[in-house]
Amino acid sequence: MQRRDFLKASLAASAVAIGSSATAGVTTQPIDTRKVSTIAFPEKKPLITYSDRPPLLETPREAFTQAITPNDEFFVRWHMPEIPTHIDPDTYKININGLVKQELHISLNDLKTKFEQVEVTAVLQCGGNSRSAYKPVAGGIQWGSGAMGCAKWKGVRLRDVLNRAGLQRDAEWIGFNGMDNAAYYETPNFIREMRIDELDDHVILAYEMNGEDLPYLNGYPLRLVIPGKYSDSWVKMLSNITVTKDYQELFFMDVAYRVPDNDCECESPDEKYPRTKPITNMNVKSVIGWPTNNTVVYHNSHLVVRGVAFDDGHGIKDVLISTDDGKSWKPALLDKDANRYAFRAFRFAFKPNKYGKVNIMAKAINRLGNEQPFAHEIKWNHGGYKYNGIDVVTIEVV
Amino acid sequence: MKKIILTTILSVSALFAQVDEPVEVPYIPFEIKMGKGFDAIQANCLMCHSFGYIINQGPQSRKHWHGKVVKMVKHFKAPITDEDVEITTDYLFEHYGNGKLE
Ligand code: HEC
Repeated sequence: MQRRDFLKASLAASAVAIGSSATAGVTTQPIDTRKVSTIAFPEKKPLITYSDRPPLLETPREAFTQAITPNDEFFVRWHMPEIPTHIDPDTYKININGLVKQELHISLNDLKTKFEQVEVTAVLQCGGNSRSAYKPVAGGIQWGSGAMGCAKWKGVRLRDVLNRAGLQRDAEWIGFNGMDNAAYYETPNFIREMRIDELDDHVILAYEMNGEDLPYLNGYPLRLVIPGKYSDSWVKMLSNITVTKDYQELFFMDVAYRVPDNDCECESPDEKYPRTKPITNMNVKSVIGWPTNNTVVYHNSHLVVRGVAFDDGHGIKDVLISTDDGKSWKPALLDKDANRYAFRAFRFAFKPNKYGKVNIMAKAINRLGNEQPFAHEIKWNHGGYKYNGIDVVTIEVV
Repeated sequence: MKKIILTTILSVSALFAQVDEPVEVPYIPFEIKMGKGFDAIQANCLMCHSFGYIINQGPQSRKHWHGKVVKMVKHFKAPITDEDVEITTDYLFEHYGNGKLE
């Protein structure tokens, strides 16, 4: 509620400030017309394919009828094109160094046998998921709604590993580096940093996803899992964890994955907001898995609308469905709460009794009472991050 | 003999296919429009990523394309000469432009 009022207020204010000549950013439903490719990537079904170097694959909407996204449909997003093509699990080691009492080089087998094994079911979502909703085009991959998925991750607590190494007194930051490399030696590597006080027991080093080894393209053999946070810091093919006192200045920390540091996290395309902040926690969102856009259904047939909803770990309280363009809303049935970081699957019985095009809308509300805004209420930001508009699917009733 | 078979099977199931041999990411032949400046694109843009990565944003203004090329140089240290910055921008605007300068 508060957010909406604020949006209105800031809209009025910015109209005054920038005058009528400035182009305003607008937000619509993300693009949903792309088809899966004919070419399958390793261990994947054919997915929506944006690029081969680096591999960029999007999960089609249909996968979001289920609370767990299958490994072979799970989206893929690499930053750097040079990914090792072979990793030997017997010689692979994760290195822990920097301001630690004892440097560690831990093998996969040691991770699996010498630490407490933990599991967490959590949503992995790119901060730029649904970016294609923003006009003018915001920089980056023009994702539809499928740069997300939910999996059961198994591994060890990062905290346990760091404790084993022992942190020195002035340790403040932890840097994570994966094995992917830029094609050009001067391009900055994709290194992420985290403040030690951001670390909680849910952060794990995962080697397993939905009961299998991590798929190669999802970061085999080991990746960081940070439940509740956007995936920019879930470093894949992890090779090094370095503890430092000072923050290292890094492109992928300082420039990418940031939004305007104001309450609406918005700005005008002509005038970027000067201060930015990291995208961090995910906002409340839902996506309808079925029906998909342009599905043709019979009048008075019995449909079950299915989808998933999630937030940053507060948990989903309600998902409301509208079939009359938002005039009235009815609650969907929610699956039992598997885990507060996971997809909460919902379903809604719907008997279309009107011919022609019908919009089905889904709106999630979390336990804090935060609800998804309509797409057009979301204000533009130059990176196209954090879109969480009410999802709309248009079907045809015949 | 039996024992050997058992261990092999175990290690296969525990390891999974991706580690047995190098994994190949398939090559996707993205269609690239031919024309003036194409050589410069090939020389300056395709070393770090595929063409698909460049054009997925749809038709854009000249300013947008110029900004992208400059971003490559500034943030990703792409070794592109000033002259080629203009040539690649012109190519992108001509073939993947929206007709607007800004
Ligand atoms: C030195 C390596 C390098 C070269 C050369 C290079 N790029 Fe890039 N490019 C990158 C990297 C790194 C990214 C971003 C990776 C990420 O964010 O994950 C990128 C991303 C992009 C993007 C998408 C992201 C965005 O900001 O919208 C576009 C478009 C792009 N490049 C166009 C070009 C064009 C056009 C050229 C040639 C003029 C070029 N690149 C040359 C390294 C390079």
